[in-house]
Order: sequence, then structure tokens, then C-alpha cells
Amino acid sequence: MFFKALDLTTALRPSLLPDEILLFVQDAVGLYEGKFKIPDYQNGHAYLTSHRVCYVAAEEPRKFSVGIDLKEIDRAEYQSKAGFLKSSPKVTLYPKPQKNKTDKSRSATASPGISQSPRLGNSLSPLPRTSTPQKSPSPKPASATWICPICSFSNPVPSNFDPATATAATHLPPCLACGIKPPFTTVLKASISAATSRDSPLPTGALREDNPVQFNGQAQTLQPGGSVSCPRCTFVNHPSLVECEMCGAPLLSGSSNAGIRADSPAPFFEQSRITNTEVSESIKLSFRAGGEKVFHERLKGALIQRKWLLQDAPPVPPPSQATSSPSLQIPTALESPPPAPRPSGVGIAGLERRGFETRKNNELVIGNSFEDLEALMASAKQIVALAETLARESGMATNGHSTEANAVLSESAAALGMVTTKDMLTSGSENLYLSELSRNLAEYLTDDSQGILHREGGIMSLIDLWAVFNRSRNGVELVSPSDFQKAAELWEKLKLPVRLRRFKSGLLVVQRYDWSDERTLGQLQDWMEELRRVPPEDPLPWDWSLFGRAVTAQEAAQRFKWSVGVAAEELEMAEDRGIVCREAGIEGLRFWRNYISDSVEMPLGWGGGGEGESWAV
Amino acid sequence: MTETAFSFPSTYNFPPFFTPQPNTNTRHDQLKKWAALIQAWCRHHRQQRLALIDAVESPLFHNAALRKRLDLREARAIVDWMAKTEEEGGGGGRAEWIDAGRTVAWIWWRQPAEWADLLAEWIESTGQKGVVFTVYELLEGEGTGSQEFHGMDPEVMLRSLNILVKRGKAQVFGAEGQEGVKFF
Repeated sequence: MFFKALDLTTALRPSLLPDEILLFVQDAVGLYEGKFKIPDYQNGHAYLTSHRVCYVAAEEPRKFSVGIDLKEIDRAEYQSKAGFLKSSPKVTLYPKPQKNKTDKSRSATASPGISQSPRLGNSLSPLPRTSTPQKSPSPKPASATWICPICSFSNPVPSNFDPATATAATHLPPCLACGIKPPFTTVLKASISAATSRDSPLPTGALREDNPVQFNGQAQTLQPGGSVSCPRCTFVNHPSLVECEMCGAPLLSGSSNAGIRADSPAPFFEQSRITNTEVSESIKLSFRAGGEKVFHERLKGALIQRKWLLQDAPPVPPPSQATSSPSLQIPTALESPPPAPRPSGVGIAGLERRGFETRKNNELVIGNSFEDLEALMASAKQIVALAETLARESGMATNGHSTEANAVLSESAAALGMVTTKDMLTSGSENLYLSELSRNLAEYLTDDSQGILHREGGIMSLIDLWAVFNRSRNGVELVSPSDFQKAAELWEKLKLPVRLRRFKSGLLVVQRYDWSDERTLGQLQDWMEELRRVPPEDPLPWDWSLFGRAVTAQEAAQRFKWSVGVAAEELEMAEDRGIVCREAGIEGLRFWRNYISDSVEMPLGWGGGGEGESWAV
Repeated sequence: MTETAFSFPSTYNFPPFFTPQPNTNTRHDQLKKWAALIQAWCRHHRQQRLALIDAVESPLFHNAALRKRLDLREARAIVDWMAKTEEEGGGGGRAEWIDAGRTVAWIWWRQPAEWADLLAEWIESTGQKGVVFTVYELLEGEGTGSQEFHGMDPEVMLRSLNILVKRGKAQVFGAEGQEGVKFF
């Protein structure tokens, strides 16, 4: 498993691969390599996508950001607030064993069809290899307990139980309280989880001696009275007890775990640049502001779904095969004609037959997709493609304008994966939602493939943007206007390449950060100059080479590809600066170059009586 | 005086000139130009009185070529501005309302004090100190035909003479309508 360099978008988020979908975002996350904190990677955003786990630091994101491919992750473990002292919950990611080293486990994970126990055993086996050398040679801890599913009593796992070799046939002792024999998997799971949580040294004497520093740390975490709180039931025990009086859980284990992290920050990982370094043991994400549960849940889901496999999946099985195949394999309709020998159709009958086949195919796609929601999720790609083609077709039928609108709409469906929705975030993290939305918007606006801002002449009103943006979400997870405005107001703070600007009238517009009034004024002045140079088609009652011609907001909107509202505001801004002046007439409001202020009138000549008043230009 | 056509300034043909400008600076420039235009117009036509109701139909406020006109309200606003002193942000007292209804105004392309100066200078240069004139003689007499005050409004003439009286350079006597004046 390698740390990989990340490409960041303009909004400083990881740029996603094609087909990659953002699943979850959480801020205030720190990174650990094994037990060690990685310096400079202690406060950032964790992005979970369908393909990767990414970390982007809050400070200097371009320098400190890193990603790990999910396909290299063997499994993820969730560790809640361990011990009784404060430690942020963590999610641990274990790398997949290297191919050349453990071929056996590799083959086991690759073929999930066989019985469960050997797979679990195998996936566990690389652990001793990757752990630190001081570790006990046996992964089997003495203090593992399993919870009886009948009476919920905590039983110790029998000392001769080895998860690596145990099978369902292994004899298991019954529950000590109710006497019911436990299911094999319960004991196995308990044993494995105990083994993995003992990555940190075990508190039992033999193991502890080779790690004196941590032992000292553990001693200090005793409570003032010398008593020890039970990690499981929190009962405060006498310090000399080894097991909890109430529930029988091992005491020192919990307190030593907690002590290591809580008392002093974990030692730092030596390397400052971690890009492209191999992860030897495991990666921990420390969630200092919550969100770990959802992260873990979605990570597990992503590991099960294995979307990265789909990327190279063979395309488009023909419909004849699709009918017999399960719902997950769905052809993208319309594009590839079935290769099966077709009855040679000529003329209208042939066309109609082909149309019929296409419809049948589409029906199949839609039908399969809606069979259940999981299947819909899996075939989202095909459905989007289908929706796009349908939208294009319907667009073709009507005039060109709506074609363009539909194209925008369907193309923006491709951006669906880029969009942060509220349910990607845990409730209460309103600020995170807003900042993510803000970044989303910035990406959406600066995305060259869509060129939203460019098409609008570099400036568009916030309301227009809101409408277009919500349309691009295809009717789900719509953004409320207030959230939208708040997110837009964050652009400045987050140093994103777009800005929100308020015109005098209160109209809010979105423009690039390097857009300035001066630039607009320059453009307008150039235009006015141009109007003075170009002779008008019809004779005008005024001197056009002196005054030029009047322009309306509509003309300005057309020329600069602004919306009319924006054009009116920009013209009024220019008027405010004295660049243009207005003429209100029956034709409506029109703007001229400001000849009133530009021309200098000479003082009236008094000498000449009635004749020869000198008016200068 | 021969009647030559009044030559309008270039801004007169500029359509926005007839629309009140919202920008303060532009508005100020606009008012200044209108004030200059009105004064020049009145001087050209040798009139001190300007009746706005008539003026809005005259070429002064109505540009037939552009089909643009200044409405009465805007004309009033300009005269108001002209009436204010420069300290008040106005046009330097170049106008004065004659009636309370603000329909007729004096346009001071030359203020009464300036007329007084002009009269005193004329008396001085022609060596007519101590000579007695009737006001009618000053306005319509043969001897003043080449002077700018020839044919001016009698009310303005009286106001100018009164200023000279205050300065101690003239004395006005006689009944109303038949005033005589003696210059010192």
C-alpha cells in the first residue's frame, strides 16, 4: 500500500477519476502511520471516494495531501474511544499483503466462494509479519473474550483456540453463565478482534518488558487514588486487581492503551514527505471532530462494492446475453447494435424493427435498474448514459435552444459524482457542509468542460447559478437558497478562484476572482470608442463621430454575453464612475459615453455681443 | 443689433443632455452646461427675463432635430441651481425667480452689480459726470444705442442704478415711471 500524490482541483479538493464518486467528507482528521503520527498531516479533510481515501491538509493543501487506493486496502477497523482517557476515535486501514510474500492469502481473498473460516484465518496471517519485531510470535491473546449471544456474559476465549487453525469442528466450551455452546463465528471474531487490537503491546508481563516507555506511560494513567477504571464497564477497580471485579475484563490492557495516546502525543513518524512511501503496517485516521462511524460504514461499503473493478469492466453485453444475466450487468443501450445475426431488415420495416429492438433494450435497462435500489446504484453509469442519450434525442426534436439546454443538463449529470450532499456529512457539521458546498460550486464554475462562467461572459447572477446548479443535481439533494448564499460567501475566505459581488441594487453576482470593475470599464470604453469609429447605417441627427451611439442593457448583454440583469448593473456601475451617462426616452433607458463631463466648454466670450459665442468641443 | 442665429454648443445635440443624470459629478457638469447655455441664449436675445412656460417650447429647451425636450420640472431644477450661490453648490446666483410660482425668472447673464459697473464705466469714459439722464433716455435714447444696456429691462436698469446710489455714484429722483438719474 502506497501513499500516492493527489491532484487537487481549483477548489483544493481531490480531483476525482472518471467514475469515481465522492462518498464522505470529514474535517479535523489526523493521519497515523502505524502508531506514529505523521507530522504536517494532523489537521485536514478526509475524503472517502469510491476508489480512494484521500487526505487534504487544511493548511498548505497543495503540499500536504495524499491518497490511498482502496484496492490496496485489505480491511478497515473502527476503534472507538479506547480506554477511559480521551483519545479520538480512529479508523485503521490495513494494507493488502504483498503478492510475492503471501501468495496463499492473496488467492484466498481472490476466491471468496470457499468456506468462511480459512479466508478469515488467511487474511489474519499477514499481521504478525507486518507488526513490530518485539511482538509476541503468536497473535492469539490470552485475554480475548467473547460475548455470549444468549445471556451476553463475557466469556474468555479458550487459551488453546487459535483462529488461524480453528475450524467449525474445533471444540468450544459452553458459556460459563448459561451453558449454551457459542456459535463458532462468535468466538472466532472475538479472537481476531482481540488479536488485532493487540497491535500495541499486550499488557501481560512478558510482552510489556520490551516496551518500557509505554509501560511507564501506563503507570501514570492510574487515577489519583490509584484505582483503575475498567475499560469495558467503567467500574473503578482497586489497582492491584488484574481483572475487573464487575465484568472480568482485563484491566491493564485498557489503561495502557489509553495511556500511550492520551498522556503524550504519539511519537512522530520520521519522514516528513510521505508521498510514495510504502505503508508498512497500517494507516490510522484519527477523527478529532467525529464522523468516524459514518466514514467506517461507507468505507466498508466501498470495499465491498469495489467500484474500481468496474472501471476496466468489459463493456456492454449484447441484449441477448443480458436477458439471461443477472441484474447487475446492464447494457448501455442505443450505442452498440447487437452483434447477433439480425434478420436483414430493409426499408421502413427494418427501421421499425431496429427501433423496436432499441426500445426493448432500453426497457430492459430501466426495468433491471429499478429492480432494487442496489442494482440502480450499480448501474448508475449506464442509466446516466441512457438519460443523456434520451435527453439529446428529445432535444433534437425541438429547436436548437433547448438542445443546448438539454446538453448542459445531461452533461452536468456527469458532475453528479462531484457533488457533496448533506447526507455525506454527519449532522451538525453545518460549517463543513457549507465549505464543501462552496468548494463544489467553485469547481462547478471553473470546470472548463462546462465553462459555465465563460459562457455567461465571466459573470452571472447568483440566482441563475443557483438554478443551473440545482438543475445539475437532477432534482435530488437540492441546495437551499440560504445555504447557497452562505456557501458563496465563503469563497473569499477559502481563497477559491471565484468571488461573490454585490451590486449597488443588492444583486448578487458570481465572477472570477481576477475580474474587476476596471476591466469592465475598459471593455465598455473600448466599445464606446468603437461606436464612434464605425459609421452608422442610418443618418443620425447628431454627430456620431463625437457622441457615438446609444447602447441598451440588452445590447451590452449580447455583446459581452452577460445576462441582461448583470449588463444593466454593470452599465450603472460605469455610470457611477462617470464613464457613461444615461438617456431616458421613449425607447427606454439608453447609455452613452459621458460627453457631458468629457467635453470642456469654454467660458462665454463677452466681447462679441450676439455673434460668435465660442463653444468648445 | 443684427439678429444672427444662435449657435448651440455641441452638448445641445447630445441626447443624454436632456435627461437628468443620477451621477452627482455628471449632474453637476450637466447643470453647469445648461446654465451656460441659458445665459448665452438670453444674452444672444438680449433678454433678462425667462418665462419657463414659453421657453420649454422654444429651441432653447426643445431640440427639434433630436426630438428631445427639457420638461418644465427639469427646467425649474436648472434655474433653481443657477439661483443658488456657489457656496451652496449652485450656479453662482445667475438666476432669480420673479414670481412665487417659479414660472418667470431673471437670468443674470450679467448681474445688476455688473450692470452698475458697466454704467459707471460708460459715464466715466464719456465724461458725462454730473449730467442728468432720464431712465428712458438711458434705455432707448440715441446716445446709448451702441451700449449693451440699451433696450434692457427697465426693472433691471433701476436695480443697477440703485446699486450705484448705494455706492454714492448716482442719485435717482422723480416719480415712478418717470425717474431721472444724475451721475457723480
